[in-house]
Amino acid sequence: MSLLEVQDVTVRFGGIVALDGLSFDIEEGHICGLIGPNGAGKTTMFNVVSRIYQPARGSVRFRGEELLEVPAHGIASLGIARTFQNLALFPTMTLLENVMVGAHSQGRIGFGRAISRLGAARDNRRTRDNAGDLLNQLGLGALAFRAAAGLPFGTLKRLEIARALAARPKFLLMDEPAAGLPHGEVDGLAETIRGIRDQFDLTVLLVEHHMSMVMGISDRVVVMEFGRKIGDGTPAEIQNDQRVIDAYLGAPA
Amino acid sequence: MKPLISIKSGGPASWAIRIACALAVGYILLWIPTRGSNSLIDTATTALTLMGAALSLNLLLGFTGQISLGHSAFFGIGTYTTAIFVTRWGWSPLKTLPVAFVVAFVVGAVVSLPALRIKGVYLALVTLALGVVFPQFIKWPKIAWLTGGARGLNDTGFKFDKNNRTYEIFGWNPWGNLRGENVKPFYFWIGIGIVAIIYLICRGLVKSRVGRSLIAIRDNSTAAAVMGVNLAVTKGIVFGLSAAMCALPGCLTAMKGSVVTPDTALLTVVGSITFLIVMVVGGAGSLWGPIIGAVVFELITEKTSDWVDPDKIPSLIRPIFSWSDTAPAGGIFALALVVLMFVAPLGLVGLWKQTIARVVSVVPRPAGSGTLDAPESSAGGIPTWRPQQEPPAGDEAE
Repeated sequence: MSLLEVQDVTVRFGGIVALDGLSFDIEEGHICGLIGPNGAGKTTMFNVVSRIYQPARGSVRFRGEELLEVPAHGIASLGIARTFQNLALFPTMTLLENVMVGAHSQGRIGFGRAISRLGAARDNRRTRDNAGDLLNQLGLGALAFRAAAGLPFGTLKRLEIARALAARPKFLLMDEPAAGLPHGEVDGLAETIRGIRDQFDLTVLLVEHHMSMVMGISDRVVVMEFGRKIGDGTPAEIQNDQRVIDAYLGAPA
Repeated sequence: MKPLISIKSGGPASWAIRIACALAVGYILLWIPTRGSNSLIDTATTALTLMGAALSLNLLLGFTGQISLGHSAFFGIGTYTTAIFVTRWGWSPLKTLPVAFVVAFVVGAVVSLPALRIKGVYLALVTLALGVVFPQFIKWPKIAWLTGGARGLNDTGFKFDKNNRTYEIFGWNPWGNLRGENVKPFYFWIGIGIVAIIYLICRGLVKSRVGRSLIAIRDNSTAAAVMGVNLAVTKGIVFGLSAAMCALPGCLTAMKGSVVTPDTALLTVVGSITFLIVMVVGGAGSLWGPIIGAVVFELITEKTSDWVDPDKIPSLIRPIFSWSDTAPAGGIFALALVVLMFVAPLGLVGLWKQTIARVVSVVPRPAGSGTLDAPESSAGGIPTWRPQQEPPAGDEAE
């Protein structure tokens, strides 16, 4: 059964059509690569799924439920988490606190219980320990009490993954996780993505320009150009698709 | 540079420091009303009033990042709720506190409705309008039957009686003479109670899931929403709560003064600016910031109140302040604000934390079931992804 069904989604910004009748499905448990030239609408697609943009037309179904009727803050508790292309961390918080905010949708402490302190200490301890474990798993444990501001880009990208995992998602959208990483770390990142997919039973939608990584770990690849889908298939099929080669991949030199 | 001493958070040394601080604060709180002069008790009560207002503003601006220049109006709602209930319907002043809290909460939540859609300068302007309108609204002739109009209300505070109980503890009386001969300590203790309530509310929120979501809204509201924070509801409740808490010190103003007029400084926009300055100088986004800010502000105001006469200014700094024909506390604070913004953008408390961090480092309790160091291979079978080089260990980032 498809976990996510995107049907005929159209997004316009003024006169510009960012997504033009885009449709595709994602199978449960897959790592799905979403590739295409800059400006093809990949990040726009992410923002539609996480309800930051409202499409003019179309439908996005997650486990059969229409996402476009869910408010932005309701996405996390449905089991959808994401990372951001250009980092959207909380710079004044420590790494640990960033991951604790990631678990917001898992908590039940509201204003009343926070002020009266009923169960708040236990909730804090549990959230804090879970966050610490996640940081350790992503190799960030030694930096847990450092403020996020000022740390290297690659470190913060990993922090975004840890923060997204704290929400215990079923579906993880990753926007260019390898961007800004030195070449040698990309293999490690690919291992990490596969590892978290297996451990947390995730389905992953991955936007990435690092072709060898996308082709290496994806079960399926969707190719976009100018807001439309121009290719869809296994990595091997995509690499031999003439339209995709012309639009994006280019002929092997 | 490595700090000289390192202390484990939650360890014996950290508890010793906490207990010492609590004892020191407790001693000062008992010393002021029992041994302090009347003017000191007055100053302290005013400081408590500012403290309460600045603490409430801090929850909204310091932690949630929503600016408000209309808090003088919420303060005024408190003042007038007490004044009206006491003078028109003969309520006991203390019983008006919850009423003021609820009224200000409702008004604050309603004002927050436009605030949910606007940010930054625009929010500042909308709330500024509220601060400007409030005294005008009180003076409105059509409601003068209730508010007393521009002339204000008289006898808004407690009525002391020769037959009142005095609540002595074995002959020792820190509350003041409730028979009307010396009542200043009594107001001081009401101020302490109000500040304690506000502080405990703020602390409970800040140290919880809710507080983390507030800081998340301040730092990056889009990301906060993606994490599941309901922006509209959270901002609305925080705005209402901040307004409600700000009304409480307003009530105290009515209780201790015998006259309330719409032109009382703290009820006009001047009040909003004062709360803001006190909060920023003390340290925005820190629980103790507004407390320290209010104490320092009142001390400077008190020490410089007679500097209107140039001969009273200490000779060393006379050339700097002798041009002013009013008390220079405002000017000193404006200067301090400019300097602090460069030296310590997080205020006096931020400056203190920076300084103390050079000598003492606090080691937080480790988080997680394992140790903090990344294991060679984690139990879950996830290959640990190690950075190739350790990030630079700069002191600035902490």
